[in-house]
Amino acid sequence: MLIDSPQIGRLFRLARRAIACLVAALPTMGCSGPSGDAPAARPFEAAAGPRVLATTTVVADLVRQVGGDRVTVSCLMAAGIDPHSYKPTPRDADRLSAADLVVASGLHLEGRLAAILERLGRTKPFVAVADQLPADRLIAVGGGLHDPHVWFDPQLWMLCAPVVAEALAKVDPAAADDYRSRAREYAGRLAALDERLRGEIESIPADHRVLVTAHDAFRYFGRAYAVEVVGVQGTSTESEAGLGDINRLVDLVVTRGIPAVFVETSVSDRNVAALQEGARARGHEVALGGRLYSDSLGGPGSGAETLEATLAANVAAIVAGLKGEAPR
Amino acid sequence: MTLLGLPYNTLVVAVGVAAVGFAAGVVGSLCVLRKRSLVGDAAAHATLVGVAGAFLATGRRDLATLLVGALSAAIAGLAALLLVRRFTRTRDDAATAIVIGVSFGLGITLVSGLPAWGYANSAGLEQFLLGHTAALTAADAMLLTGVACFATVVVTLLFKETTLVAFDAAFAAATGWPVLLIDAVIVGLVAVMVVAGLPAVGAVLVTALVVIPPVAARAWTDRMSTMLLLAGTMGLVAAVVGVLVSAAWPRLATGPLVVLAAAAIFGISFIAAPKRGWIARRLRDAARNA
Repeated sequence: MLIDSPQIGRLFRLARRAIACLVAALPTMGCSGPSGDAPAARPFEAAAGPRVLATTTVVADLVRQVGGDRVTVSCLMAAGIDPHSYKPTPRDADRLSAADLVVASGLHLEGRLAAILERLGRTKPFVAVADQLPADRLIAVGGGLHDPHVWFDPQLWMLCAPVVAEALAKVDPAAADDYRSRAREYAGRLAALDERLRGEIESIPADHRVLVTAHDAFRYFGRAYAVEVVGVQGTSTESEAGLGDINRLVDLVVTRGIPAVFVETSVSDRNVAALQEGARARGHEVALGGRLYSDSLGGPGSGAETLEATLAANVAAIVAGLKGEAPR
Repeated sequence: MTLLGLPYNTLVVAVGVAAVGFAAGVVGSLCVLRKRSLVGDAAAHATLVGVAGAFLATGRRDLATLLVGALSAAIAGLAALLLVRRFTRTRDDAATAIVIGVSFGLGITLVSGLPAWGYANSAGLEQFLLGHTAALTAADAMLLTGVACFATVVVTLLFKETTLVAFDAAFAAATGWPVLLIDAVIVGLVAVMVVAGLPAVGAVLVTALVVIPPVAARAWTDRMSTMLLLAGTMGLVAAVVGVLVSAAWPRLATGPLVVLAAAAIFGISFIAAPKRGWIARRLRDAARNA
C-alpha cells in the first residue's frame, strides 16, 4: 500500500536517478579511450548525449567511434579481463540499469553475463552487435553456436558500425544523421585498414602462415587473411588442454618448421611454455612471438586502446614472429 | 629425446604426476588412518587464497612464487583448523567444513576481485583450481619429484612415530609420545603434497589423490608398511594410466583422467580384494550358508 503511493514512487525514481548520476560520474577503469574520455571530470548535466554501457573494451571502442564526443561510453569489463569467465557482480547490474543504452558483443562471448543481458533487453534499449551479423558469414562451432571473436575480421566488424548507429539513433534521434555518417566513415577506415593488413600478411612466406596461440580466438582473423590458426585450448578459455593436444601441436610446429608461437594478453601462457619445451627437445627452437590482444583491447597507455591500433599491433607481432624476426 | 617411444611432453608430465601420485598415496595413508581424510581438502581449498595472495604481494605469477604462497596458506588453513577444533569445541568434521568454506570464499573473492582492482594480468590464476597437468615443463616435473622424494623420506624416517599416532593416538599419548608434534608433521606433509599436486591435477582433484589410493590399499592389507607402499604404487599407476590415456586422444584433460584412473583402482580393490573384497565376502557368506 505504502509502496503504491505516488510520493514513494517519485522518491524511488529520484533515488534511482541519483545512483545513475553517481555511476555515470565514476571513473571507468581501462575505458578511457582516445575520444570521449574523462567522463569523471564532467558533471552529468553537461553530457547532453546518451550514456552507453558497453560490455567489453572492443565494443566500447566501436560505440566511441560511432558515437563520437556526444556519447558517454563506459565499459563493464576492464582491459585484460577474459569475458568468457567473467562473473558479474551486483554493482554491474546497477551500472547496467543506469545506462540509456547497453551494447554487448553477443554470440555468447559474455558467458555468464548473457543471462542478465537477455533479461535486461526486455526492459531497456539493448543491442548485441555480433548477433545482428548474417549467419552465413559466421564460423559455426557446433551445437548451433558461433565463434564470437568477429572483430578480428574488419570486413565483418564494419557491418556492426551501422547496427550501433541505429541503436544510438533510437535513444538520441536528434543526432541520428551524425551517428550514421560516423558509422559510414568508420566502416571506410576499417576497409582501408583491412587492405593494409592483407599486404603485410602476404609478406610472410606462404608455408609459415600458421598462427599457434593459447586459445583459438583468431579463427575469423585466419579466415580473413588466409592464415592457418591452431589453438591449444578450445574457443573458450574455460577448458584445460589435454596432453594429446600439446603433443599434436609440438608435432605440427616441428614438422612445419614454424618459427614462433604466440601468447595472448588475457589468457594464461603455461601451455605455450610446454609447447616450446617439447619442440626444443626435438631440436626445433620456437620463439615466443609478441603478446597478441585477443578478447580485450590494450589498456590505457599500451598504444593499442582502439581496435584499429590493436589489429595493427597484432599483425605487426605476427609478421615479425613468423618471418623469424621476433625479439628473443 | 624420446624414451619408450613416448613424446617428450608425455614423458615429462608422466614423471611429474607419477611422483606426486606416489608420495600423495604414502602421506595420504597416514591421514586416512588417523581418520582425517578431509584435512587434504581443507589444505587444497586454502591454497587458492595463497595463490591470489602471492600474486598480490609480488605481482609475479611463476610456479615457484605461487606455490610458496599456496603452501603458506595451506599451513595457515590447517593451523586455523586445529585452533577452531581446540578452542571452540567444534567437532572435527564441522571445523574442517568451516575452513574449507571460508578459505574457498576468500580465495574466490580475491581471484575474481584482482582484475577489477587493476591487476589486469591476473588471468589464469583460477586455473589453479583445474590444474594444468598437460602444460608441466621439465623444471616443474623436477620440482614435483623433489618434493615427492622429500615427503617419502620423511615418512620413512618417522615411520614408527607416525604409524603409532595414526593407529592409536590415545595410546601414543599415554606412553609419552609428542602426539601434537607428530600430528603436525603428518598434517604438514599433507599440506606439502596438496600444494605439489596443485599444478599436477589442480586444487579440486588433488584431494582425491590423497584419499583414494590409501582407502583402496587398505582393502588389500592389514600391514602398515604394505599399505603405504601399495597406496603409493596405486597413486603412481593411476597417474601414469591417466597421463597415457590423455595423450592418446585429443581434447581429454589430463588431471581428471588421473583421478578417474585412481577411482577405477578403488573400484577393482573393493570388488576383488581378498578378505575385504565384495567377491571374497560373497564367497564367505555362501560357505557359511552351505
